[in-house]
Amino acid sequence: MARVTPGSVDEAQALLAEGGRRVLFVGGGTAMPPGPSVDLEVATSSLNRVVEYAPADQVVTVECGVTLAQLQQELGKHGQRLALDPPQPEKATLGGIVASNSFGPLRTRFGSVRDLIIGVSIVRADGTRAKGGGKVVKTVAGFDLPKLMCGSWGTLAFIATATFRVHPVPEQTVTLCARGGDPLELVRRVRGRQLEPAAMMAVREGTSWDVYLRFEGFGAGVRAQRDKLRDLEETDWPAPAAGPLRIRFGALPSHVAQVAKALAPLGARIEWLPTVGVGFAYSAAADAAAVQAAVQAARRELMALGGWLVADGDWGPPPTSWAVHRSVKERLDPGGLLAPGRFLV
Amino acid sequence: MKQETPGATQAELKQRAGPLPDPLVARFAAVVGDAYCIHEAAQLRTYESDGLASFRVTPGVVVLPTTTEEVVACVKLAREAGLPIVARGSGTGLSGGALPVPGCVLIGLSRMRRILEVDYDNAYIRVQPGVINLDVSKHIGPQGWYYAPDPSSQSVCSIGGNVAENSGGAHCLKYGFTVNHTLGMRMVLYDGTVADIGGPVPDAPGYDLAGIIVGSEGLLGIVTEVVLRILRKPEATRTFFATFPSNTEAANAVSAIIASGIVPAAIEMMDTLAIVAAKAATGVDWPDVDSALLMDVDGVTAECEHTSTVAVELARKAGALEIRVPRDAAERELMWKGRKSAFAAVGRIARNYLVQDGVIPRSAIAKVLQEIAQLGERFGLRVANVFHAGDGNLHPLVLFDAREPGEEKKAEEMSGEILRICLRHGGSITGEHGVGADKAQYMGEMFTEQDLETMQLVRCAFDPAGSFNPGKVFPSPRLCGDKPGLYQPHPTELSGEAWRA
Repeated sequence: MARVTPGSVDEAQALLAEGGRRVLFVGGGTAMPPGPSVDLEVATSSLNRVVEYAPADQVVTVECGVTLAQLQQELGKHGQRLALDPPQPEKATLGGIVASNSFGPLRTRFGSVRDLIIGVSIVRADGTRAKGGGKVVKTVAGFDLPKLMCGSWGTLAFIATATFRVHPVPEQTVTLCARGGDPLELVRRVRGRQLEPAAMMAVREGTSWDVYLRFEGFGAGVRAQRDKLRDLEETDWPAPAAGPLRIRFGALPSHVAQVAKALAPLGARIEWLPTVGVGFAYSAAADAAAVQAAVQAARRELMALGGWLVADGDWGPPPTSWAVHRSVKERLDPGGLLAPGRFLV
Repeated sequence: MKQETPGATQAELKQRAGPLPDPLVARFAAVVGDAYCIHEAAQLRTYESDGLASFRVTPGVVVLPTTTEEVVACVKLAREAGLPIVARGSGTGLSGGALPVPGCVLIGLSRMRRILEVDYDNAYIRVQPGVINLDVSKHIGPQGWYYAPDPSSQSVCSIGGNVAENSGGAHCLKYGFTVNHTLGMRMVLYDGTVADIGGPVPDAPGYDLAGIIVGSEGLLGIVTEVVLRILRKPEATRTFFATFPSNTEAANAVSAIIASGIVPAAIEMMDTLAIVAAKAATGVDWPDVDSALLMDVDGVTAECEHTSTVAVELARKAGALEIRVPRDAAERELMWKGRKSAFAAVGRIARNYLVQDGVIPRSAIAKVLQEIAQLGERFGLRVANVFHAGDGNLHPLVLFDAREPGEEKKAEEMSGEILRICLRHGGSITGEHGVGADKAQYMGEMFTEQDLETMQLVRCAFDPAGSFNPGKVFPSPRLCGDKPGLYQPHPTELSGEAWRA
């Protein structure tokens, strides 16, 4: 297997245009699922330029290998940020974040990468270069290729550059925690009082939840919201978790109790976005076979509730509408050359 | 911008179309019921156009189903008969997205208007596509919730149409467009299979097909159910109306407000003619000035008080002549009514007008408005501007008098030139009205052949037969399986089985 590090999108395009090779695109490696080896690994580390940044328009275009930390530093000079906070920003690249639909607790207010991306340029498996969306925050011309790339795991095309809408850095921030709280109850309370947390995350290690929420914005609004939850303690946002196995799962927010029960046998730390209905579990268990069995059991329970669970390249069954998903893959990558065996395809 | 269905002349299509034979009409009627299968010439005329009334095509038959099963049966019948299919919601679209194709089966979804499920804990609502946009918010309003996307036509436009067009509205600056609020859908595909895409639980393994279906302008299938995200109403909304000596000061105010870190819920801009028209239509007592802004901030009360105070101050610094704050909800509503009815109101100051929809970077507003004004002088036509300034989404209305020979053509030409100005500034040919039949001819100026071919591949993945809404969005016809390059008629096309897409 060869590994190349193209220095420009043109070079990456030329590599793909040669054709006939199974290819894997490698960013920071923070979300890469395991899979079979390929003929060519294309590392994006040299595609690390901020192509265009217009602070007044709150729009930025980057090459795929730019790391999130690098971008945030650039945006920070103008008091702006990309409102996206997946783990390991020093390593995670924007191309990888788009491909893996990575996110963090800011998803509570700002949505996931699909809600922030406004344009993309791609290179198809045959070397064809194409773009979708645009460089303005609002456009409906043509099909929304940027969204199709989100969570496509490098199986549809090489994401060469991406354009994002950015937001102002908040003036003030406060984090509160309800220790031993009920995530659903707290969500109801927050909504009942018309509070608007930028981030909300419930963390479970053991038998109870700690529910964190963060208010951001101008001082007056942050203080007023903080004052409406006087019984909650002020604290720091919890340190990011790490574990040999990172599981992603989804379920209805109202099913939080069933989520805790389903994941308990994994002996895992659970992080749950209680307004969105997605979360992560980090299993530290050593016995691979036992973990495997617990993953399968947890998936069955979540799926029975309309949820899903993905563990380390084990995607579970495809969606009922799989035929049309597969058809999209076959049209864009008819030879099945892109990231084979690393997604449902 | 006269209609041209790429790949075939209107005459050819009409000839090919002809009236549908009675036995075929009877089969459609057997699916939806006689009363909801429209085939008489006089009745068909109701469906000849959508909100872009200058384009008119008679459909072969109109069916008005009420269930997914009926839609499936109609799609299968159309496919057997080799007829193109066009879906239609309320018919308010401004780009001809629901314009019939000659001889097509027009599937009208306006009778599918049931709200199927509301779930507040999980913040979603499941509706049929014919449900009216505003009725969603009305339905959940008493519980303190609403649905964010608010196109100006929201009291009549349908959710299905919103999904097809990825509709926006004044408040999408802060809250996003239809695509940001659509969690999933049930869709009838070209072969009559039913696909459930996405749903209330996000991120299930698979591609983000919901993301590409929203805004696909009816080319991928027919959506028969939609799961929408709903929001808790904000604690407070603060509105102000500011007048300016010219568009330049108003645009500078917008830039200053955004640069201060405020994310307004909406900032709308109107120029002289739009103000005059809105006054005439709604009775708002706005002064006669060259430019005005209408702005909302919403959220937590304390935050709103702060941001509205700062915004007013910035507007004054930018040169505002007068700032008005509504005394109560009724006055606020009247201000917004003035804004939202501005398109229609222009009918009071001009016999005819074309609505344009282009996008530019926000920082270029003042410059682009000047360029448009110069264009107006060059063409000898008046232009009214009323638009979403916060996201740079312009709506120049080109006024003309169709009784004057050549004036309509001139207006069309000028309207097209406005799009070219938007593109020169790095913008888009449509921010929310869609490409439809109206702007397919400009797609090639915004996108390369390779861009369009890639989008066509997605289309072919959903609809290899090109049955849905042929002739829309894409400037040049291509059958799935074609290679780019010289056009060669496909055998199925020659036999009349397939339509150019």
